[in-house]
Amino acid sequence: MFKELCQKSFPKSLWVYHCNVGACNGCDIEVIDVLTPYYDAERFGIKLVASPRHADVLLVCGPVTRQVVPALKRLYDAVPDPKLVIAIGSCAVGGGIWFDSYNIVGGADTILPVDYYIPGCPPRPEAILHGIAVALGLAEKEIESVHLKQLPDRPESVPVEVEGS
Amino acid sequence: MNAQQLGENVKQKFGAKVIDFETLGSDQLYVTISPDSLVEVAEYLYRNEGCRYVINGGTDRRQQRDAFLITHFFAQDEEKIYVAIHTEVEPDNPQVDSITPVVPAANWSERETYDMIGVVPVGHPDPRRLVLADDWPEDLFPLRYDVEHGVKPPPVEGLAPERLEPPEGASVVPIGPYFPVLEEPAYFRVFVEGETVVGADYRGFYCGICGYVHSCSYCQAVERAAGIEVPERAEYIRTIMLELERLESHMLWLGIAGHIIGFDTVLMQTWRMREPLMWLCERISGNRKTYGMNLVGGVRRDIKPEMYDDVRNVIDKIGEEWAELAGAIPGDTTLITRLQGTGILTTETARELGAAGPTARGSGLAIDVRVDHPYAAYDRLEVTKCVHDSCDNLARVLVRIEETLDSIKIIHQALDEMPDGPIMAEIDEELPAGRQAMSAVEAPRGEVFHWVLTGTENRPERWRVRAPTYANLQNVPPMLEGNALADVPISIGSYDPCFSCTERMEVVDVNSGQVRVYTEEEFRAEYDQPRDE
Repeated sequence: MFKELCQKSFPKSLWVYHCNVGACNGCDIEVIDVLTPYYDAERFGIKLVASPRHADVLLVCGPVTRQVVPALKRLYDAVPDPKLVIAIGSCAVGGGIWFDSYNIVGGADTILPVDYYIPGCPPRPEAILHGIAVALGLAEKEIESVHLKQLPDRPESVPVEVEGS
Repeated sequence: MNAQQLGENVKQKFGAKVIDFETLGSDQLYVTISPDSLVEVAEYLYRNEGCRYVINGGTDRRQQRDAFLITHFFAQDEEKIYVAIHTEVEPDNPQVDSITPVVPAANWSERETYDMIGVVPVGHPDPRRLVLADDWPEDLFPLRYDVEHGVKPPPVEGLAPERLEPPEGASVVPIGPYFPVLEEPAYFRVFVEGETVVGADYRGFYCGICGYVHSCSYCQAVERAAGIEVPERAEYIRTIMLELERLESHMLWLGIAGHIIGFDTVLMQTWRMREPLMWLCERISGNRKTYGMNLVGGVRRDIKPEMYDDVRNVIDKIGEEWAELAGAIPGDTTLITRLQGTGILTTETARELGAAGPTARGSGLAIDVRVDHPYAAYDRLEVTKCVHDSCDNLARVLVRIEETLDSIKIIHQALDEMPDGPIMAEIDEELPAGRQAMSAVEAPRGEVFHWVLTGTENRPERWRVRAPTYANLQNVPPMLEGNALADVPISIGSYDPCFSCTERMEVVDVNSGQVRVYTEEEFRAEYDQPRDE
């Protein structure tokens, strides 16, 4: 349903606002790399914009630091509806190696509703392109979602529920 | 002069105030002094011994020594010595004299030390919060051992950093909270009259581009502290990876610089040229960035002899295209008009505020860790210091362009001379605790400095890092003075700022009309309020 909604809401070009919320720059560089001649995301109509007011998509890189939380909320509100949020890189997906640091709130989804996750440290440009293509309905997802759950009283065994199996 | 002699000089000059000094090899000096002589000793090193300020750090040693350890680091580049000045501070009265009035470059790091460990720098001209978030509690210092790891105090809404009022008659142009070109968190409030910048208030925010330099520097510090001998082949591999990283970073930077001044062809071309290098790094290390190759004692992955020619082909191709590009720049009117004479950082300011890397070399300061404090295999290779003294944005561009060509030569030389042998040292025993060492690496942006104090169970007790942008961004406000507003982005960009290196804050103001830099006292008196009011 969501996918159909996406296809309906974003039939043409996606304008992207890229924001670093505490990233090490690894992901940021790969995001820019996607726009340069070898990968050339502009052929799909994807374009980086300088203002959140012009954007359809918010690309979030990095673990969310304490300091950036208010700015990030304002940024999200500034993007006009309908909007997508894509978390890029291990840190934006779940906090990465910084998950328990005093200055880090967590992954992007602790603050914003995230629609798509692109993991990797940093994700390869191909992975970023693929993630955006999935969001646009241009490509199919290649893996099933896996839900991992750890039960507190039985730490030695970790039950794994695999959806669709 | 070696470290031992420098230590004796200090001892002779200050007598009983120097409690003890020790050396590590001929190039590292650790002096322990009494707290009341800190300012004198710092001033002596800075003014009389020609030392450059590096950074300051605080360590909670209440369990071992019943004291907080405050350490200032200096570098004497001509004599190839790093100096650490240790002072022990009583935990009941955590105060230490600030050295910022005599060593201006210590400004940020003293404030950071207060934020992290809670030792007050007495007499600091601008003792406001630097690193911690606005809503962080005033009395919680994250690096103290009695503060739980990962403590997360509840957030408080509606707190904002204090902002400066613009000088009379000037208007404010906010840039941020996201720097529009680099899309990174940084907040500048630029004060303008007409189109001329008259001042700036800056609030900014470790790094994937320089992934290898930090791991390398850390490993070197631990190896040095524990006395581990690294195999020669591993040193060569580290050198090659460091230079590949420099190539990648400088190419990336030139592209971004082109983008900032609206010349996107440069961005597209340099990044096209750079891509085969990324593929090469992926083949060598398994990752395009964050190579993850360094371990204490050596490297995890070898560069196999059958790959030598691939490396050579890739860098030769880059060299060819880069030479063409380098030839085109001096003849390109767009680039020259945007870069020449803008963003002037004078040699004196660069030294006072401790600039590093291409920023310092573009201002005529001939410092380069690869030559001044050789590490890895650099003492066996030929490295040229690329220095320009026109102090403007163009100088910083030219330095990087020349360094890129020089890097290619270094990689060739390293590949030709690389010996066979193991790539990891055998380490059977636990590393000794309580040893310390310093290590520096010349990152693409400047000097990366690490200090490690080893602890028990193969863990570091304290680890202090200085990234180059930390030093360089402190130079931004004086550089913006008198520029046109349109030149602000490229001037900031010309430092190759990596905001993730510098999650910190700086304020400087410049009055228009007679264009004069306020001292920090004047500045506080005029614009600033104490933070807790």
